Amino acid sequence: MLSQTQTPTLQACRSCGGGAPIDVHFCPQCTKILSLGRHGDYFAFLGVSRKLNLDEGDLEQRFRTLSRQFHPDYFYNAPPAERRASLERSSYLNDAYRTLRDPAQRVEYLLQLALPRAVEGPEGTGSQQGIPPALLEEVFALNEEIDEIRQLRRSGAPVEAWQTRLERARAPIEAKRRTHESELRQLSARWDQMVDAHAPDSESREVLGALRQRVQERTYISNLLEGIERELAQ
Amino acid sequence: MSKVVGIDLGTTNSLVAYVNGGVPVVIRDRNGEGLVPSVVSVGADGTVYVGREAERRLLTDAARTVYSVKRFMGKSADDVRDEARLFPFKVSGGGGVVRIGLGEREFTPPEISAFILRELKHRAEAFFAEQGEVDADVNRAVITVPAYFNDAQRTATRDAGRVAGLDVLRIINEPTAASLAYGLDKRHAGLIAVYDFGGGTFDISILRVEDGVFQVLSTNGDTHLGGDDIDLLLTERVLRETGGSPTAEAIQHVRQAAIRAKWELSEREETLLNGRRVTRAAFETLIRPIIDRTLEPCRQALADAGLQPSQIDEVVMVGGSTRIPLVRRLVGELFGRAPHTELNPDEVVALGAAVQADILITGNRELLLLDVTPLSLGIETIGGVMSKIIMRNSTIPATGSEMFTTFVDNQTAVDIHVLQGERELSDDNRSLARFKLGGIPPMPAGMARVQVRFQIDANGILSVTARELRTDVEQTIEVRPSYGLTDEEVERMLLDSFEHAEVDFATRLLIEARNEAETVIHATEKSLRAPDFGEIARAELGPGERARIEVALTDLKSVLGGEDRELVRQKLHALNEVTQHLAEVMMNRSVHAALSGKSIDSL
Repeated sequence: MLSQTQTPTLQACRSCGGGAPIDVHFCPQCTKILSLGRHGDYFAFLGVSRKLNLDEGDLEQRFRTLSRQFHPDYFYNAPPAERRASLERSSYLNDAYRTLRDPAQRVEYLLQLALPRAVEGPEGTGSQQGIPPALLEEVFALNEEIDEIRQLRRSGAPVEAWQTRLERARAPIEAKRRTHESELRQLSARWDQMVDAHAPDSESREVLGALRQRVQERTYISNLLEGIERELAQ
Repeated sequence: MSKVVGIDLGTTNSLVAYVNGGVPVVIRDRNGEGLVPSVVSVGADGTVYVGREAERRLLTDAARTVYSVKRFMGKSADDVRDEARLFPFKVSGGGGVVRIGLGEREFTPPEISAFILRELKHRAEAFFAEQGEVDADVNRAVITVPAYFNDAQRTATRDAGRVAGLDVLRIINEPTAASLAYGLDKRHAGLIAVYDFGGGTFDISILRVEDGVFQVLSTNGDTHLGGDDIDLLLTERVLRETGGSPTAEAIQHVRQAAIRAKWELSEREETLLNGRRVTRAAFETLIRPIIDRTLEPCRQALADAGLQPSQIDEVVMVGGSTRIPLVRRLVGELFGRAPHTELNPDEVVALGAAVQADILITGNRELLLLDVTPLSLGIETIGGVMSKIIMRNSTIPATGSEMFTTFVDNQTAVDIHVLQGERELSDDNRSLARFKLGGIPPMPAGMARVQVRFQIDANGILSVTARELRTDVEQTIEVRPSYGLTDEEVERMLLDSFEHAEVDFATRLLIEARNEAETVIHATEKSLRAPDFGEIARAELGPGERARIEVALTDLKSVLGGEDRELVRQKLHALNEVTQHLAEVMMNRSVHAALSGKSIDSL
C-alpha cells in the first residue's frame, strides 16, 4: 500500500498543461517559469543532498544562479501568471537559502522534514519534553544560583562579591555546551555518511533521534547562557 | 515607447536620471542644475511652486511653504508632534494621516511629494522633447527610499508616485541604488559598506558583490537623522544668541545662512555666521554627537552580517552630508580605510535608480539587486508580545508563516495585529495594520488552526493572508496602515491632480520662466532702491558692478512680455550672474537685521 507520505515526483505546468519533474524550475516543454505548486524541500529546491555539512561557497553560488533565473526583476514584462510564479519561486529560494546557510537552522529544518511528528501541535510546545532529568536538575540548581546572585546585586554588594560566583556558575554549563557541540558534529558527520550510503530508514531514524535530543538540549543551554550574559552585561 | 526614469525623492533635494546607451545620466535644466529642492509652496492664488522658486518663497511666505516633507511620510500626526513645532507650516491630523496646512488648503505628505515628483516628470519630459524623442512622455519610474524606511513609509512613497500619475515600477533602497551606480561589480568582487547620510535620513548597508549580483547582507539606520539636524542645531544656536521672537521668515533667513555656513566649513577652516567667526573645530565639536549617532547602526549592521570592520573591502559615501570632513574622517576610522567619494554624493542614488529602471524594462540581466527587509515583521500574540514571522535582514521577496489558535471556546473570529520592529512588546513596535479573520465555525478553544502568512514583495511591501485550515476560511489584505491613505483617497487625489493639470505644457513652462524672472526683477529692484544702497555700493560693490546690474535688468524686462521662453531664460541667467554678489551682501545684512529685531522690509 502506498502511504500518503510518498513523495510526489511530478508537477504541472500552468502555462502549457504539461508535466515536469518536481525539482525543476522551468517547464521542459514550453520553457516558462513554473508556478510553485508541488515542490521539493529546501534541499531539493537548491539541488543539494540532505546533508548537514554543506559547502557554503557552493550553496551561495547555487543561490546566486537561481536568483538570476527567476528574480521578479526579470519578469516585469511577463504575463501575470509568470510574474506570480517568479515571486513565489524567488521567495521560496530566499527562504530556503536563509535556512540552509545557517548550520543551526539547517539541522532544525532537517529534523522537521525527516521527523515530522515531532513538530506537530501548537507552537511553543515540545521544547522541554525529552530533556534528560540530569540536565534539568542542573539547570534548576543554576537558576537558583542566578537568582541568589541577582538578589546579592540588588542589595548593593560590590562587583567582586558576585561576579566570580557568576563566572563559577557558568563554567560547568559552558563545558556541557562544548561537549554538545562536539557530539552534534559527530552525529552530523554520521548522518552525512548515511545519506551517501543510502542507509535504511531504521538506522537513519536513530541518528535523527539522537540529533534532535542534542538540538533540544543545545537550545536549552543556549537560553541559559544568554540569561547569564544578560546578567553580566547589566 | 514612453521613457522610464529613476527618481531620488530626497529630504532636501530630488532629482531624476535615465539610462542613455547603457550609461545612467542625470537630467538637468538649462543651467546645468540637476537638483530640484524638495520644497513646495502654494501661493495665495492657488499656484503651486516647486523647487528653487518654492525655496525662495520660504523667505517671503514661509507659512505657505513646505520643506523636508519626507520626514512626515507614513507618519501619524501624533508621531511628529514634537518635530512639527520647528516647521513654519501647520501640521494636524491627530492619530490619522498627517495633514499639512498651507493657506486654506490641506495636503497629505504623499500629495506634497507628488508635486515634487510631477515637477521631475515634467523636467524629464521637457528634456526628452528637446532631444527630439518621438514619445517624450514619462509615466513609469523607479523611486528610491531610505533602506530603513518601514512599510508605512514605503507605501506612502508609492502612493505619492501614483498621485503624480506615475506607474511606480519599483521602490528600491537608496544605498543599494548607489552601489549599482558605482559599478562596483566591474572593478570589484567583495564586501562593500554603503554609508548614506542625507538631508533627513541615515542608512548603512553591507553588500556582497559577486558575478554582478549585489546581495545586501544587512542594513540599519535612522530615518530621522540627517543634515537637517545639523542645520537645526546651528539655527537654534544663532537664535539663542540673538534672542527675541523672530518671525517665521526671519528664522528661515537664519536657517539658510546656517546651511551656507555648514557648506563653507566643508571647504574652509572658518566662516562667518551671523557676523561671528565659526571655526571648523568648533563646528565639529558641535555636531559630533550627531555624527556619533551614525556609528552605532554601522556596528550593528556589521554584527548582523557577521563581519568585522576590517573585512570590508570598499566603503562608499552617499548623501550630501558625507561632504563634511568629520564624517569622512570618522567613517574612515571605523572601517580602517579611506571611503570612496568619486561620484557626486547628491546624484549617485538617482543614477542607480535609473539603472534599476533600465533592468526592469529591458530585461538586461547583467546586474541583479537582492535587497533585504530592514525590520522584522510579525503579529501580536497573547500578553501583548510580538511574535516575529519574518526576521530583519531577510532577502526579499520573502515569506513566513505561523500557526495560531483560538483561546476561548466557540470563538468565531481572531484579531490580527501586524507589527514591524525589533522590540519584545507590541506597543514598542510600529503598528502596521489590524484586521479580523471571521467566519470560524464554533469549536473548542485550541482546536482552530489559523495560519498567518506574510509575503514581502520585491518592493519591500508586505501583504498578509490569514486562513483557518480546518474550514479554509481565508482573508488577504495588503497592509494599509491606519494612518496611511486608502486606495480610494489615492484615486481621488490622482483625479484632483488631473483636474488641475496643465492645459499646455509649453505655456506652463513659459509662465514659469516669467514668474521666476519677475521674482528676480523684483528682488533686484528692491535692493537697488534700498535707502542705504548707496552706502552698501560704496562699501561692498566693485567698480561698474551697479551699471552691469542695471543693464542686465533692463534687458530682462524688455523680453519679459514676449513668447520666447528661451530668451527669457537667457536674460534671467545673465541677471542672476551679475547680481549674485549683491544678493550675498544683501542676504548677510538681512540676517543681521532680522536678528537685531528690525523688520526685513525696513531695509
